[in-house]
Amino acid sequence: MSQVETGKTLLEAKALSRHFIVKGDGGFFSKRKSIAAVEGADVALRAGKILAVVGESGSGKSVLARLLSRIVSPTSGELVLNGETVDLKTQRDLAYASQVQLVLQDPFAAMNPVRRVGHSLERPLSIHGVPEDEISARAHEILESVSLTPPQQFLDRYPHELSGGQLQRINIARALAVKPKVLLADEPISMLDVSVRLGILNLLRSLCDDKNLAIMYITHDIASARYIADEVVVMYAGQIVERSNDTSLINSPQHPYTQLLIASVPDPTKLGAEVVKAPSGGAAAFNLNGCRFSPRCSQALAMCATNEPPMVEVAPGQHAKCWLHASDAQRASVTISNKSKNEMESKNV
Amino acid sequence: MTDKTILEVQNFDVDYGYGDAAVRAVSDVSFTLGASKVLGVAGESGSGKSTLVYGLTRLLREPGVIVGGEVKFHLDGEGEFDILSASEEEIRKIRWSHISIVLQSALSALNPLRRIGREFDEVLRVHDANLSKEQRRERSEELLALVGLRPDRLRRFPHELSGGQRQRIMIAMALALRPELVIMDEPTTALDVVTQREIVSELAELRRQLGFAMIFITHDLSLLVELADDIMVMYAGQIVERAPAKELHDAPRHPYTLGLMNSFPPLHGERTELEGIPGSPPDLKALPTGCPFSPRCAFAMDKCRQERPPLVLEAGTEHSVACWLHDSSYQGAVPVELSKRLAKNSGGAQ
Repeated sequence: MSQVETGKTLLEAKALSRHFIVKGDGGFFSKRKSIAAVEGADVALRAGKILAVVGESGSGKSVLARLLSRIVSPTSGELVLNGETVDLKTQRDLAYASQVQLVLQDPFAAMNPVRRVGHSLERPLSIHGVPEDEISARAHEILESVSLTPPQQFLDRYPHELSGGQLQRINIARALAVKPKVLLADEPISMLDVSVRLGILNLLRSLCDDKNLAIMYITHDIASARYIADEVVVMYAGQIVERSNDTSLINSPQHPYTQLLIASVPDPTKLGAEVVKAPSGGAAAFNLNGCRFSPRCSQALAMCATNEPPMVEVAPGQHAKCWLHASDAQRASVTISNKSKNEMESKNV
Repeated sequence: MTDKTILEVQNFDVDYGYGDAAVRAVSDVSFTLGASKVLGVAGESGSGKSTLVYGLTRLLREPGVIVGGEVKFHLDGEGEFDILSASEEEIRKIRWSHISIVLQSALSALNPLRRIGREFDEVLRVHDANLSKEQRRERSEELLALVGLRPDRLRRFPHELSGGQRQRIMIAMALALRPELVIMDEPTTALDVVTQREIVSELAELRRQLGFAMIFITHDLSLLVELADDIMVMYAGQIVERAPAKELHDAPRHPYTLGLMNSFPPLHGERTELEGIPGSPPDLKALPTGCPFSPRCAFAMDKCRQERPPLVLEAGTEHSVACWLHDSSYQGAVPVELSKRLAKNSGGAQ
């Protein structure tokens, strides 16, 4: 296999957004609303590196994975694969699919229940033009690469005969069958038994290191992100709110949402410490004008409700999208523009 | 707190299926639960933890069959109530008013075509025919306030609420008739961590106010360490370890408990490679002879593959474990990971 240089950017998203049109609040004839499921996402997936995307349900992390795999097309923004801008007006072609593969959360739903595992594994190979006589050998090789041995024993089984952990390994194997450069793993362990989760995480890590794959690992479990990731981004309500080019944001979170997220994780070593009182939120508590987290934020400033915060460097290699960390100059510019807006409005009246 | 016992379970067995095709999902489970105490049940899917509580409350559906054992519920001032021999009619009176259950999926537990208020109304009406419509409404609003929801939620349909709100409604309904025992079957598994944190701290607050006992089922041991007085770990339908929560966390005795704990990457400290537990979860249709965990156990000996270890109470403690390594007949040294000692009355420093 041709080796790519470790750290080289393979797939990059620039200001990627996806809006969905949904029904309004006022019944059938009400005006349609647009929801920004992903807004202005910048991510770069690098060879031999794992990027963890952390967020709660509804934060847009799965939509981001689907955008990168081009199952969902973006409303705006750019995708760059191997340094070339992808033409987003066309349908996803085989060439793109062979380089960027997606592994889904539920291994049971991802496999055809009435077909043997062998069928599900060999079909992508023939679709991607692997010669007939090589297919069987390739299937064996792939199963061995995810530690399912002896391979023949698995090829002949039906999905219901295997455990969730084994099926997820097969899913990963299937994604790797076409030798992609980028692997997008959408919550690959959340449906699995606790005792086999680490096995899958270790597998992803070793695949990343051995094959120099670029992996995006999507999760709601920040501890697992810390375990395998090289870089971390945190998403809230469709936006990336904090990022670090190592795992430092988990050790010293700067955005109030990341702080809340980490303080909420059950932690027996902190037993008896003061338990954080999480401000109630839920899906409804998004603020679309200013900072989206501001309605739930215990440290929110007046400007947070009305002005979208900038991405600010809070430590070397760590950025947070938060007014608390913005410089005085940045804050002042907003205050001035607000003032002039108010003046304009008062003049109009 | 008093040392009164509220629930006593003896040699409880549950099968799925009949005759030769039967699979033992819960096997020889015995435990007691003190009034106002929290018992955590940890285990993976298929370990029998949900089947256990469905059995205890007689909610088990075909092909699940209770094949043996005794379950006694102690009613305040009314003596013992034998759950397994009670008629369907009698059990219905106990359920909800004395024992209630909160299930994992609140969405499927609520009727999608009914407003929340109607569900509350029904629970209250069925169990107390004397309440007027007004009183029932007032009580419903009170219950919602208890879990931090506004009274206007009564007018909503389940799909209009978030996962956390629905789970709060299930908890409010479970508390509607002031039961002495509330069973929670993975109530927070489908929720994100922030919502889980909110609900767990609300539950602690509610228990302070109302003093009910709780059986809390989850696969997340670290959550149980925070929440429970005692923790019971199940594997392949059997209890493999039971101990006070902190002790189980600080000094696990069973290799499975240790493995389960090491399956959660930590949030602090050095990043080291963890192993989890090798192999696959057990297939109940083809359990190995001897200890069901032996094929996955790093410490397994010949005896483990031949004979099933009994659950034995360690002398002078409240810690029981089913493992030959801790049996008095075992001559060798217990692996250091499984022989940690807890300093008596230590402040929890590690």
